Amino acid sequence: MPCFGYFLFLCGMNQVLSSYPIWWSLAIGHQYSSLGTQPILCGSIPGLVPKQLRFCRNYVEIMPSVAEGVKIGIQECQHQFRGRRWNCTTVNDSLAIFGPVLDKATRESAFVHAIASAGVAFAVTRSCAEGSATICGCDTRHKGPPGEGWKWGGCSEDVEFGSMVSREFADARENRPDARSAMNRHNNEAGRTSIIDHMHLKCKCHGLSGSCEVKTCWWSQPDFRVIGDYLKDKYDSASEIVVEKHRESRGWVETLRPKYNFFKAPTERDLVYYENSPNFCEPNPETGSFGTRDRICNVTSHGIDGCDLLCCGRGHNTRTEKRKEKCHCIFHWCCYVSCQECIRVYDVHTCK
Amino acid sequence: MAGAIIENMSTKKLCIVGAILLIFQIIAFLVGGLIAPSPTTALPYVAIKCIDVQRTHQKVKWFMPWGPNQCEKIRDFDEALSRQIEANAIVFAVHIPLPTKEMSPWFQFMLYILHLDVAFKMNNHIKENAEITLDVSLAYRDDMYSEWKEMAHAIETRKLKCAFPYPKTIENEGRYYNCDVLPFMEIGTVAHKYYLVNIRIPVIEKKGINVGIGEIKDIRLVGIHQNGGFTKVWFAMKTFLTPSIFIIMVWYWRRITMMTRAPVLLEKVIFALGISMTFINIPVEWFSIGFDWTWMLLFADIRQGVFYAMLLSFWIIFCGEHIMDQNNRNRLSGYWKQVGPIAVGSFCLFVFDMCERGVQLKNPFYSIWTTDVGTELAMAFIIVAGICLCLYFLFLCFMVFQVFRNISGKQSSLPAMSKARRLHYEGLIFRFKFLMLISLACAAMTVIFFIVSQVTEGHWKWGDFTVEVNSAFFTGTYGMWNLYVFTLMFLYAPSHKNYGEDQSNGDLGVSGGEELQLTTTITHVDGPTEVYKLSRKNAQE
Repeated sequence: MPCFGYFLFLCGMNQVLSSYPIWWSLAIGHQYSSLGTQPILCGSIPGLVPKQLRFCRNYVEIMPSVAEGVKIGIQECQHQFRGRRWNCTTVNDSLAIFGPVLDKATRESAFVHAIASAGVAFAVTRSCAEGSATICGCDTRHKGPPGEGWKWGGCSEDVEFGSMVSREFADARENRPDARSAMNRHNNEAGRTSIIDHMHLKCKCHGLSGSCEVKTCWWSQPDFRVIGDYLKDKYDSASEIVVEKHRESRGWVETLRPKYNFFKAPTERDLVYYENSPNFCEPNPETGSFGTRDRICNVTSHGIDGCDLLCCGRGHNTRTEKRKEKCHCIFHWCCYVSCQECIRVYDVHTCK
Repeated sequence: MAGAIIENMSTKKLCIVGAILLIFQIIAFLVGGLIAPSPTTALPYVAIKCIDVQRTHQKVKWFMPWGPNQCEKIRDFDEALSRQIEANAIVFAVHIPLPTKEMSPWFQFMLYILHLDVAFKMNNHIKENAEITLDVSLAYRDDMYSEWKEMAHAIETRKLKCAFPYPKTIENEGRYYNCDVLPFMEIGTVAHKYYLVNIRIPVIEKKGINVGIGEIKDIRLVGIHQNGGFTKVWFAMKTFLTPSIFIIMVWYWRRITMMTRAPVLLEKVIFALGISMTFINIPVEWFSIGFDWTWMLLFADIRQGVFYAMLLSFWIIFCGEHIMDQNNRNRLSGYWKQVGPIAVGSFCLFVFDMCERGVQLKNPFYSIWTTDVGTELAMAFIIVAGICLCLYFLFLCFMVFQVFRNISGKQSSLPAMSKARRLHYEGLIFRFKFLMLISLACAAMTVIFFIVSQVTEGHWKWGDFTVEVNSAFFTGTYGMWNLYVFTLMFLYAPSHKNYGEDQSNGDLGVSGGEELQLTTTITHVDGPTEVYKLSRKNAQE
């Protein structure tokens, strides 16, 4: 398909600028934290499309949670990929916080989009429960006399509100008719769905003498690590798709189709991608690979974090290191650790 | 003068009464299913971590999580560690309800559940039998700008029941334990608009307080309250049912007193059942809208308990009075064996309820389940009550069995009896079978609807149309037992009129003129009637 390749190359250039989720840099800047004393200036957030800007201005009080959501998404990504060749590194000096890795429609892009949109839904839901945002989802769904919604029938679940915010904000820029947009939309949705799927129901009986005559149940948000594990599984089993172009009245439209008909078609819960990942062994500024040189590897492991695989067969250096460490610690539940100092000797293996 | 109304009613009239009751029953379900919202709402809250900075001289007493005068917050405890803030200076603050909302007396009660997010750390495990000590205080105010007024303050301990479902390795650091939810507080009225909960978890290393409780990441509360809409529907229903049951009760008692004989035990028990039903029905809850009566929850429990005890006693006495053997009961003391377990069981539950909800009147954070002794005591009460209930049902089953055995014995000899005796026994059998049928139907319906409402998710949806199953269950069963008592008083009231002549086609119509008493195993002040003598003679044979 030479035509297809040519098309992608042509569009590739301007696509990079328009499609990169630069607004993720919210997660890096401290000024966007919810504990900041200054309100967020929407105009100062880089890379917002007009719809996002509008959203930000209307709902400025939930923007700290959006920032927080991207942040926990990135943290979780770094946790899940900690021993792999690509370890979800963020670049500090660029607005494109993951570097050029996300320019291609790879599995990694799919995962990052999914976890970031899941993070936004998660953090917004949480901030609703904290009371940090006043516009969370009460009142709308319930019947009863108008204006009395909450007093008449209680509240709706806030996870729907969190998902809605994530959909409105994170998907706002993915409205182009090209394949990449469709892929990002799909993966964002997969991330949000994972949050809703992992809500668990808890119940309390409080009838006569505490009997189960009256039982009230509520949905409780999971630990975000659970979402990370789940999306990591989805990353490992992500579906490859191919891009199809159709001529429609509004111009060329690209749609996605499963590549292999003999596999099960990806559902809305699966991550999809259509470009192969670089191997991330050697540094390559074009693909955004940092290479694995000087990465610490695990000499006893045969997995991806083992020195063979992580160093891509280049071998590793070993040095011994003396480290001062805290030991025999007494922890309090919060904020206080009393420790002794011990010196331990470690063998540190790094890739050549 | 003839027996109960039910015997003198034609099948047609009985069917009409049945149909009317059925219509009311359906209305009761529909009121709950279509008008009312779900009975209760649970709202999750996440506590904000405030720091108690003593920088200014004036001591801050209450920490607001948001809004004007909000506290200084930290996001996580790594931040606290780097800023060298102690555990004792961290205050978890929860404002009830969420911003822009306010609480209302229509919510009737508030129940809060504590949920801890504890992260696993290799060197900071949750110890075996760990207990967490909370310094909790609760304040209220009625507008956004006035000062907070303290409502309760207590130092409470709760047992941590946590399990870690993953292997305890370094890779799994940071995952959360699965912790059971803990009871936090319960308040019987919602008289104020805003509430504020401040929780501290002080560490006193010497006494081992709050040591070895793992790394607490977050405190979450879940607030449960009755929905205002449901309360309104429920009150409306009570207000409607009270006069209906009251009127039929007065009517019933008038009929009884109009008789020449004194009322028999069964008639008194039916009347008592009516009284206990009215006791439940009287909508005293209206007062909770205007007054801060925290004991309302306890009172509702007591009323409900009285009714259950009465209903169970009624069943046993009804069976006993229809056993058709020679024993002359007609005295409550004759039933001590059967009524005893009910009394003991209800008393146990009453004591348990007083220990839980009674103490909560003083300290809303109290729960009997939090201490070992309390748990054992509570379990003991509940087990004794359970045993009593089992005992009761054994007695009841045995009695029903006895009645059926006697019925089958009588039925074979019925054709050979004289007309008066035959009518007497036919009346007894019919009355018993009828009540047996409706009691079983009501009990079965209650159980079925209970199971349905527990199993399903709370509401059924057909497009835009939602049916609140839980509300329908409550209003439906409540309506059903009201109708049950109503029917009982109506159909088992003594019949004054002689329906014999104008209703000779009725299959149970008795020919007039004969002096027949078809109430219970007849004993009245004038001494045994002819029928009684006959039956007695029969029994002796």
